[in-house]
Amino acid sequence: MTDTSLSTQESILTSTARDWSSDMTTFKGVPWGKAMMWIFLLSDTFIFTCFLVGYMVMRMTVTEAWPVASEVFALTVWGVSVPLLLIAIMTFILITSSGTMAMAVNMGYQRRKWAVFWLMLATALLGASFVGMQCFEWYKLIAEESIRPWGNPMGAPQFGSIFFMVTGFHGLHVSAGVVYLTIVAIRIVRGKYDHTNFEIVEIVGLYWHFVDLVWVFIFAFFYLW
Amino acid sequence: MRIAYIAILLFLVTLGSVVFNFTTPFHFDAIGSNWDLIDITVYITFVVCGVAFVALGLLMAWWVYKFQYQDGKFSEYEPENAKLESRLTIITTIGVVVMLAPGLVAWNDYIHPPSDAYELEVYSKQWNWMFRFPGADGIFGAAHNKYVKFDNPFGMKPEDPYGEDDILITSNTLKIPVDRPVKVLLRSQDVLHDFWVPAIRAKMDAVPGMVTYFWFEPIVERVYEVLCAELCGRNHFNMRGEMHVVSMDEYRTWLNDQVTWAEMQAGAVPLSPEATTGRDIANEKGCFACHSVDGRQLATGPTWLDIWGGTVELIDGTTRERDEAYIVKSILDPHAEIVLGYTPTMTAVELTEEELQSILDYMKVLKSEPAETTIEDEQGASDTSPAGESTAEPTEEPVTD
Amino acid sequence: MATVEVPYQETVPLHHPKTWIGKYIFSQDHKIIAVQYGITAMAVGLVALILSEFMRIQIAFPGWELMNFFTADHYYQAITMHGMIMVIYLLTAFLLGAFGNFCVPLMCGARDMVFPFVNMLSYWVYLLSVIILMVSYFVPGGPTGAGWTLYPPQTITAGTPGFDWGIATMLISLAVFIVAFTMGGLNYITTILQARTRGLTLMRMPLTVWGIFIATFLGLIAFPALFVSAVMMLLDNFLGTSFFMPAIVSLGQPLDYSGGQPLLFQHLFWFFGHPEVYIVALPAFGVISDLISVHARKNIFGYRMMVWAIVAIGALSLIVWAHHMYVAGMHPSFGFFFATTTLIIAVPTALKVYNWILTLWRANIRITVPMLFALAFVLTFIVGGITGLFLGNVIIDIPLSDTYFVVAHFHMVMGVSPILAIFGGIYHWYPKLTGRMLNDTIGRTHFYFTFIGTYAIYFPMHYLGFIGVPRRYYETAIADFYPVAAHNLNKFITIAALIVGVSQILFIYNLVHSYFNGKKAPANPWGANSLEWCTPETPPRHGNWEDRLPTVHRWAYDFGVPGEEKDHIPQTVPRRKAS
Repeated sequence: MTDTSLSTQESILTSTARDWSSDMTTFKGVPWGKAMMWIFLLSDTFIFTCFLVGYMVMRMTVTEAWPVASEVFALTVWGVSVPLLLIAIMTFILITSSGTMAMAVNMGYQRRKWAVFWLMLATALLGASFVGMQCFEWYKLIAEESIRPWGNPMGAPQFGSIFFMVTGFHGLHVSAGVVYLTIVAIRIVRGKYDHTNFEIVEIVGLYWHFVDLVWVFIFAFFYLW
Repeated sequence: MRIAYIAILLFLVTLGSVVFNFTTPFHFDAIGSNWDLIDITVYITFVVCGVAFVALGLLMAWWVYKFQYQDGKFSEYEPENAKLESRLTIITTIGVVVMLAPGLVAWNDYIHPPSDAYELEVYSKQWNWMFRFPGADGIFGAAHNKYVKFDNPFGMKPEDPYGEDDILITSNTLKIPVDRPVKVLLRSQDVLHDFWVPAIRAKMDAVPGMVTYFWFEPIVERVYEVLCAELCGRNHFNMRGEMHVVSMDEYRTWLNDQVTWAEMQAGAVPLSPEATTGRDIANEKGCFACHSVDGRQLATGPTWLDIWGGTVELIDGTTRERDEAYIVKSILDPHAEIVLGYTPTMTAVELTEEELQSILDYMKVLKSEPAETTIEDEQGASDTSPAGESTAEPTEEPVTD
Repeated sequence: MATVEVPYQETVPLHHPKTWIGKYIFSQDHKIIAVQYGITAMAVGLVALILSEFMRIQIAFPGWELMNFFTADHYYQAITMHGMIMVIYLLTAFLLGAFGNFCVPLMCGARDMVFPFVNMLSYWVYLLSVIILMVSYFVPGGPTGAGWTLYPPQTITAGTPGFDWGIATMLISLAVFIVAFTMGGLNYITTILQARTRGLTLMRMPLTVWGIFIATFLGLIAFPALFVSAVMMLLDNFLGTSFFMPAIVSLGQPLDYSGGQPLLFQHLFWFFGHPEVYIVALPAFGVISDLISVHARKNIFGYRMMVWAIVAIGALSLIVWAHHMYVAGMHPSFGFFFATTTLIIAVPTALKVYNWILTLWRANIRITVPMLFALAFVLTFIVGGITGLFLGNVIIDIPLSDTYFVVAHFHMVMGVSPILAIFGGIYHWYPKLTGRMLNDTIGRTHFYFTFIGTYAIYFPMHYLGFIGVPRRYYETAIADFYPVAAHNLNKFITIAALIVGVSQILFIYNLVHSYFNGKKAPANPWGANSLEWCTPETPPRHGNWEDRLPTVHRWAYDFGVPGEEKDHIPQTVPRRKAS
């Protein structure tokens, strides 16, 4: 029943429609794990959306002053207060890790196991350093700026609550990703995925890019607003 | 052919529902406000939905009866009928529009109070209603939950000139004039509440941290029961009040008898230190959520006024001396002896020996006679609190014409 | 170019468990997991049923000495637990966990879910969430009594029973349930999208699968909102954050909160809560469509419209949530938008009802037990649906919200109807699941008690709402507004509720008794067409099919096709060459 006369000019719309009306699989050539990861990320997107919507509501309705991002998140280097320095480095690291992840996926297509392993490990290390720097940032906010989840000297208590909750939740995602990356990297060199197309690397990659993408939004909303 | 009991049952259920609808006494009671439009919308919806319900129910019963199984018979093979389906869609859409349109018109009215409506604030807390009128200047003073104390029950902002003449009514009873539109502003001290008088039709939640509103115009002079319609804790069902819709004259007289914020502050009679401690402890423990100290009878619990001494009738029909032992027992084991007319909703209060003693000290001074002792503020209920009322100067009624 | 696609499942071997525990306890077989889900959900539902009987007795016979132990605190805890258990732990778990697990792989012609191990975890995590929920009866202060909507600030202030530990166990249990649901849900969706058998296009899937598919999708989108609100409320309660908590004075004590938004919680909750209604309703719609078609021996009328109606309802259900908040104090302009979207959703829903009834026209109706439940479902759903038109229309909701009209409405549409669908489904699929028929006489008796009983409970209850009886009142007898006749009606309702409650023993007895003593079931006792009736064995073995998965040649509703010998043609029968 499938129409085999594929024309090259076929629009995406028609090919999508054909896939959706076909039997067996809706997303042609997409392994189960990858489809599942996509759907999971869709669900996860809604978690972060709810968090961020909650943040926006807080931000817009709170009557007390909201702490100024460039002051709260400044880092003092050699006596000079540089706004958003730490966070710029963290963002840079996370985006770099997305780059190494993309390279790992590419190596995966070529079935170069060790290259995949080292690149995934590099990604995990970058992720871990991101989490480490986040810990440092939290420490600074708590110990030096006296910001607590239930209040802070600068104004609206919601600042601390929402900041720690959302960055914490994202940090958990990064940490989980680091663990996930490490496990998969080890299993790859041990040959657990030899019978597959190494799509697992792509699946991990999806998760990692998602976490990275979420960070971009958090960065924009918390540090630049 | 077997009898299809289910067909008969479906028929009877459909028919029975219709019969029940027309014979039951349970319909909206007589409307007491301007919200005819709500009743009309309900009526339209009843007609549209009723017709649909009867038609579908009977059709189903009939077809189940008619098309029962026969061996070897084939049912009609008709996967789709585009014409029929689009017709049904159109009919349903028309039905929906017929119901929705008057509803939206009424809602537009509902959210736009008329410009000549006067304002009334309902301040709710667990589990009491309190009311505030803006007083002579027609402007409410600022108020916030953070200012709430025992002697500032509305959380009036100190030193706010607009607040001084606000009329504060701490009793559960409200009087409003008939035939005047009123915009009800709702605030809450603690949790969600909902000021609701069924015959008025209108209601809205009171949400802490915001001011919500609705409006209505009472058209019948009557006493209405006020209910709380939003679950607000264990005594939710006891959170009642009274709303008297009265003539303008009666309303003015009543309002003149109420105290303003300035008078409430001035009228506070100092208590002895022991009693003050007791009062503050009782306040902290939440006693005044259910017990009044000015003789108002709340549904939640007996008043503390004159609680010391005398006798009390219990739920099991016996009569009990109200001595110290009784009162201590009622505080520490509240479900042991329930006063007639109340439900056991109180939770045992954890108190130290000294705290208990202070509360008892406080209770001892809560006497309606002799008048000179210690009603520490007027709580507004003039008929039951004789002390220190009545420095009240006549205030102008807040209705803006 | 034409590479022949082979179902992936045919290329990978299935690992059969060796041990008894692997087969029946930590089983990865979707059918066993379905049974586990079903039994757990029914057990916890029984708890909720008993709680509801206590509530009913209290409402009808306040002050009865035997009920003295049942204080207001117990009452509010019971309404909360009853509501939450029924909505989440029974209905969602049963319709998606049990029916989803059983039907999806069988009806899609798959060997199992795509990730059986995750599927198994899903059940055990669900069981954990149930246990945590039950633990709340043993923590200090008991379970939360905030009502199943858990509105702050009330939920975590001292005027509410179970405001500290009770609410914590509730929220943690919900979060754990969401994890379980996500694991199961990802499986259902991936299986439906990527693991169908040859010839099974989406538009040939039985409507049960469609209902489960869209409902699961909604769940994956809606549950995150509940998850987020649960996390935020836990933080409010234990860390002192002020997400939902403004400055308040609770029972004389000023609390250390400021600036929070109680309405934010309500928006998040109902962004979950409204789709949740359809998470429950859509699988029920699907099951009922299949039941009516099979037992009426007629194709479901307007299949394509039914599918698109499910999709449309699912999509619309995401933008109607604030119709639960008309009196909540949100910005009044929202009323226009949400009333309109809510009434628009009535159109596809009404079309489904029309199509069920039109399916009966010139059909050849077998009055079997599943069919009885299906017909009763349609009638109760009509009542529940049209009362929804009252409450969805913003201005009518003003006088009726928070009254017994609401209670009656959502019990009719979300309690009685899906439960009838569940019963119908169980009577329908039990022969395939166990290889034995359920006892017909007991089944019919159970049906009449359940249908007449529940109708007698909930239909008159609407009218209590009209006279203004507020819901969630521990005791109404002391109020003047409540006429004597209403008390009598309440007594009647309670007696009906007790009868319905007791009659469920028949059902349980039937399930257990027939499992051991029931008549042996043929492979296809109802003469149905969908794939689950085409398995080589009854009950289907682990892996469901022979080495080669079945091939589908037609939709599942070929009943009474003119010119054929039999009145039904299973999906696996090839179509005749061009006629």
